[in-house]
Amino acid sequence: MAPLVGIIANPVSASDIRRVVANASTLQVTDRANIVLRVLSALASCGITNVLMMPEKSGIRRHINRAYERAANLKEDIFPQLNHIRMDITSTVEDTLLATRKMREAGCAAIVVLGGDGTHRAVVSQCGDIPISGISTGTNNAFPEHREPTITGLATGLAVSGKVPADIAFQSNKRIDIQIGDAIRDIAIVDVAIVTERFVGAKALWKPENFRELYVTFSDPEVIGMSAIAGLLEPVTRDDPDGLVVKIVPHHEAKTILKVPFAPGIIGPIGIGSWQRMKAGVPAKLDLPAGTIALDGERELAFDQNDDVSITLVNNAFRTINVSAVMQYASRNGLMRT
Amino acid sequence: MSNNPFPLPKEKLLEAYTKMKTIREFEERLHVEFAKGDIPGFVHLYAGEEASGTGIMMHLEDKDRIASTHRGHGHCIAKGVDVNGMMAEIYGKVTGSCRGKGGSMHIADLSKGMMGANGILGAGAPLICGAALASKYRGDGGVGITFFGDGASNQGTVLESMNLAAVWNLPVIFVVENNGYAESTSIDYAVAVDSYIDRAAGFGIPGVTVDGTDFFAVHEAAGEIIKRAREGGGPAFLECKMVRFFGHFEGDAQTYRAKGENEENRANKDCIKIFRKRVGGAGVISDAEFEKIDKEVMHAIEESVQRAKKDPLPSAKELLTDVYVSY
Repeated sequence: MAPLVGIIANPVSASDIRRVVANASTLQVTDRANIVLRVLSALASCGITNVLMMPEKSGIRRHINRAYERAANLKEDIFPQLNHIRMDITSTVEDTLLATRKMREAGCAAIVVLGGDGTHRAVVSQCGDIPISGISTGTNNAFPEHREPTITGLATGLAVSGKVPADIAFQSNKRIDIQIGDAIRDIAIVDVAIVTERFVGAKALWKPENFRELYVTFSDPEVIGMSAIAGLLEPVTRDDPDGLVVKIVPHHEAKTILKVPFAPGIIGPIGIGSWQRMKAGVPAKLDLPAGTIALDGERELAFDQNDDVSITLVNNAFRTINVSAVMQYASRNGLMRT
Repeated sequence: MSNNPFPLPKEKLLEAYTKMKTIREFEERLHVEFAKGDIPGFVHLYAGEEASGTGIMMHLEDKDRIASTHRGHGHCIAKGVDVNGMMAEIYGKVTGSCRGKGGSMHIADLSKGMMGANGILGAGAPLICGAALASKYRGDGGVGITFFGDGASNQGTVLESMNLAAVWNLPVIFVVENNGYAESTSIDYAVAVDSYIDRAAGFGIPGVTVDGTDFFAVHEAAGEIIKRAREGGGPAFLECKMVRFFGHFEGDAQTYRAKGENEENRANKDCIKIFRKRVGGAGVISDAEFEKIDKEVMHAIEESVQRAKKDPLPSAKELLTDVYVSY
């Protein structure tokens, strides 16, 4: 029996204030549905017969259902059997968390995720050992690589079908744990930013004068967002066991002023105090006594001097499907030849 | 370091709480009074939605215009319209904001920039485009905010106004207060495009979705949008996701709701409880201070009801005054 694949598509990523302050893109619901349809047909072409999907109330399911109806009318056998999880829909991140847990219970071999870094983080917090494949439908996406979703679907189908050796198909990733007091309160998969705003509010980060500290699992000069600050100082790959810590200071105290694309279309100066490698398993303490902890680009946790906050890099934290490696292997070994 | 972690000084936080609490008590009291049969016409209550109107209106001045909806009491209070005048208006008394001839769905106070609640769904959007054009023409930095619900968002007037605002780069903010129901019809059924942000994008207008039960989320996003509009940054769209505590209108049996939905909303999505827990928890406003405001608000609403009940009805000879305007 072919393995079961899960799909979680966040219907509301890319709808924050950066549409207004940064000319960021809006990805329409119909586009999200079309991406899912492309993934579904790619999975079917690899022999996947059953897919489990998170339900939502924003229209993705309705567009997909219409496409299935049209395909049936036209006698096009291009999609796998699609079932939506039976669950109450809250239209919050709780849906993603619950759907991920239910996909684990159902025995999914992989989960394809459509969303930004925040959506991927939510899935990672619940997916355990199930590998995920990321598709970027958010604003500042450093974690999901930018590529045509059909290819992501193909790689996922090939990987879970066992046609590619596991050491090539799957990649391990780093995570950052945020501990307050004795408990791990949350995680990040790309970056933890410490900002001076002491309230969560509209969540997005777009005021560089408030940035103070940055902890990243990897850094890439080709991405935008908070992790771009680290990426432009010292690239650190996803495979590297280290992360990077950057201390951000007011411009008059800065050793280096860095021009950073910290939001789509916004390139601004950031004062850099220092930066250094971050070793896994070594908790770091914050310099800022009170502020907000932003996880993967969104303010999530306010803290003050009464909170004992520590930040720890964790290696081998979760698995992703290595789309590039799978497709290279597929080419070299003729997996797509009929 | 200041003990106040919020983006507003304490006096503004007190003002925000007072406004939200005033709206809540006003609506809760009307829920009771309407059932007695003394209030003519219909009332549509804003309870549960206070963080939206208040979070936005904290950024506005009297020169800024708003166009409200049939569910307009909260917008009026947040914009500074006199509560006694509002209550009298709802009772149809001559001391009302519109001399008792408008009622709940037509309260207006131009001195406060409140262009009117409106019984016609989606009718506020074209009006606010006119007001915004006037501000742009005068160069006074004024902005216009039009509120509408998820149901009215489907009206042609709203869509035409979005087009006009984009073409003329007007300082208009379109606010959809999405409480999930167009009267009794769920948005799942009645909104074809599903995402309001998608619709705005279709007109080249940037859109933002915020949690409308979180005063601070609304306040921060609205502040940025309004600041830009004042400075020539053009129109924007703001979706506040929220809940309403009562039915579409008073008397609505609400058979369209899931079992336990109202209780769940009251328990976990009450924007005033959320505000109070957060601001009180941070030690910025004490329980005693909150309770003092609660008492003052209760007293003010009680007084407004008693005055409205005692005040006279308009006389027959006033029937045609303030109705037609000679140019």
